[in-house]
Amino acid sequence: MSRLNITSLAVKNLRRKIVRSLLLFLSVTVVTGTLFSATIFISSMQNALKIGTYRLGADVLVVPEKYAADARSALLAGEPTSFYMNRDILEKVKSVGGVKKASPQLFIKPTSFTCCYNVNAFLVAFDPTSDFTITPWLEKNLKKPLSGNEVITGRGMPVMAGDQISFFGTLFKVVGTMEPTGIKFFDQSIFMTMDAAYKMAEDSKTKSMQPISLSKDEISTVLVRVEEGIAPDRVAIRIEHDVDGVRAMASDEVISTVRKQLMGLLKGILIISALLWILSLLMMGFVFYMIVNERQRELGLLRSMGARKKHVFGLIITEAVIISGLGGIAGLISGSAILMIFKDAILQHLKLPYLLPQMTFLVELVLGAVIFSLLTGILSSLFPAVLASNMEPYEAIRKGE
Amino acid sequence: MIKVNDLIKSYSIDGQKFWAVDNVSLAIGKGDMTSIVGHSGSGKTTLLSLIGGLTKPDSGSIVVDKENLLAMSDNELSTFRNRKISFIYQFSSLIPTLTVLENVILPTVFGKQQPDGVAYARELLAIVGLENKMKVYPSQLSGGQQRRVAIARAFINAPELVLADEPTGDLDEETEEEMIGLFSSMNKNKGVTFLVVTHSTELAKRLGRQFKMHNGRIEEII
Ligand SMILES: Nc1ncnc2c1ncn2[C@@H]1O[C@H](COP(=O)(O)OP(=O)(O)O)[C@@H](O)[C@H]1O
Ligand SMILES: [Mg+2]
Repeated sequence: MSRLNITSLAVKNLRRKIVRSLLLFLSVTVVTGTLFSATIFISSMQNALKIGTYRLGADVLVVPEKYAADARSALLAGEPTSFYMNRDILEKVKSVGGVKKASPQLFIKPTSFTCCYNVNAFLVAFDPTSDFTITPWLEKNLKKPLSGNEVITGRGMPVMAGDQISFFGTLFKVVGTMEPTGIKFFDQSIFMTMDAAYKMAEDSKTKSMQPISLSKDEISTVLVRVEEGIAPDRVAIRIEHDVDGVRAMASDEVISTVRKQLMGLLKGILIISALLWILSLLMMGFVFYMIVNERQRELGLLRSMGARKKHVFGLIITEAVIISGLGGIAGLISGSAILMIFKDAILQHLKLPYLLPQMTFLVELVLGAVIFSLLTGILSSLFPAVLASNMEPYEAIRKGE
Repeated sequence: MIKVNDLIKSYSIDGQKFWAVDNVSLAIGKGDMTSIVGHSGSGKTTLLSLIGGLTKPDSGSIVVDKENLLAMSDNELSTFRNRKISFIYQFSSLIPTLTVLENVILPTVFGKQQPDGVAYARELLAIVGLENKMKVYPSQLSGGQQRRVAIARAFINAPELVLADEPTGDLDEETEEEMIGLFSSMNKNKGVTFLVVTHSTELAKRLGRQFKMHNGRIEEII
């Protein structure tokens, strides 16, 4: 025979009205699940934004005025796009005060892989002599510059070093793949030199069914690193003032627009969660009030057998803690499942990369969620439990029917 | 064992005050077996509840086993009940979620748990003739069987005082006789004091002194 104590009494009580117990359990599951998945989701977005700009390595991004929005979605979501402006903008940007380094890049949106894949690849060409964002990676991992028709690819591409792929009729050799970043702009891109890109464009007129209209004096963007101690957004303003027809985005600004959208989303989720929480608190409180009412006589009988107030109080709280604890754990599991199932759909919609938060944060979050759900149980049953433990035994027994 | 003086308990119903227990004084010695009779509504249950410390009087004093109940804190009173006083109710008082055996050992949960609690519970259940119903739930028992479980439970913590409210109300004669036998042997062998509300003349006859309640007042029948 299992030992009889307050906990086992509580468990037996919960099993008595199993549907009601399940209902309470589910409400805690929903609230905890919602809050948990929302928090993970939002924090991973913010993480992605931070890492995105960090890896990008540029303080200011100069793009044609008309294509500011495209550029933003290209960098943040890896949305393939092509837009061009005149190369003399590079020189003009270089001469703006506060600019330390400036390097051009070309974005080319391929129609499709010529061989067989149908992947959303994105061609990025950089200038090895002035580049400061991709070259450091090459130096570290490849230990030699890219030459001729060599490319390196993002980790998301279905190719390996040594493979050959062709774009617009030109055959390229894959010499390396980058580390996974979680950022589509890097993971889905193929990096080549500007020279190779111009040659490919030239050759596409004869070799490809879909020629690229790109001339040697066109570039897509200028990446800028600012002088130390100068705020990127100040430099961006100066560039826009000094150079006609461009939009200069400080990396912070790129993020802040997205962050604004995120904050809106966050607010919405928080409001919904708070409402859900209050609702489930009220519901649980009401149900436990009912439970106490319904079991008045039993609780009075326990008191007459020598149960102290704290025993009765503990019994009610224990029931709530068991339900909300289990609900919290189920919320964690279902929240994670929902995140995994809908991750791609949500990301598609928001055009954002996705990165899991750090392990320590995850652990904190899981612990927080469990404590939160336990708190929900305790809080909602507190008043009924106090009520129950303060009933006069004789009154409770007499009125309990 | 019990010393009650000038006990008054009143209730207001619709602004109208009436006395459920009206100036009751009573002294019952250790090891006495006493019965109380009286019409329903005469205050018998209220008096038992006062003596058991389940409710407080308007005025008067209650001393049980030399302890002034009215001076005790709620915790002290709970412990006192747990160790010394048992109730047998006139209604079904088993916990439906617990088996028969669990119901009998339930009072031990709130006190110092004795290692042989389960063994003693089995013994008591055997005495009331339910040794083969230990794993059964109350809803699967007849009213009389449930009453026997409640009686077995009353003895689990080796009480000094048993306050019984119509304990044999729904028992057949034969079983009633067995329960009276159990009360007598507990009284003789363990010195348990009994205060029993009953309509059964059979039971009243077997107990010692007899009191009668009427409109909250009490008198001894000689
Ligand atoms: N908590 C209470 N509130 C109002 N009236 C009560 C309460 N408890 C008992 N009474 C009344 O006191 C009287 C005595 O009740 P009770 O002691 O149960 O009588 P008995 O057990 O002799 O039938 C009854 O009229 C009953 O309705
Ligand atoms: Mg009564």
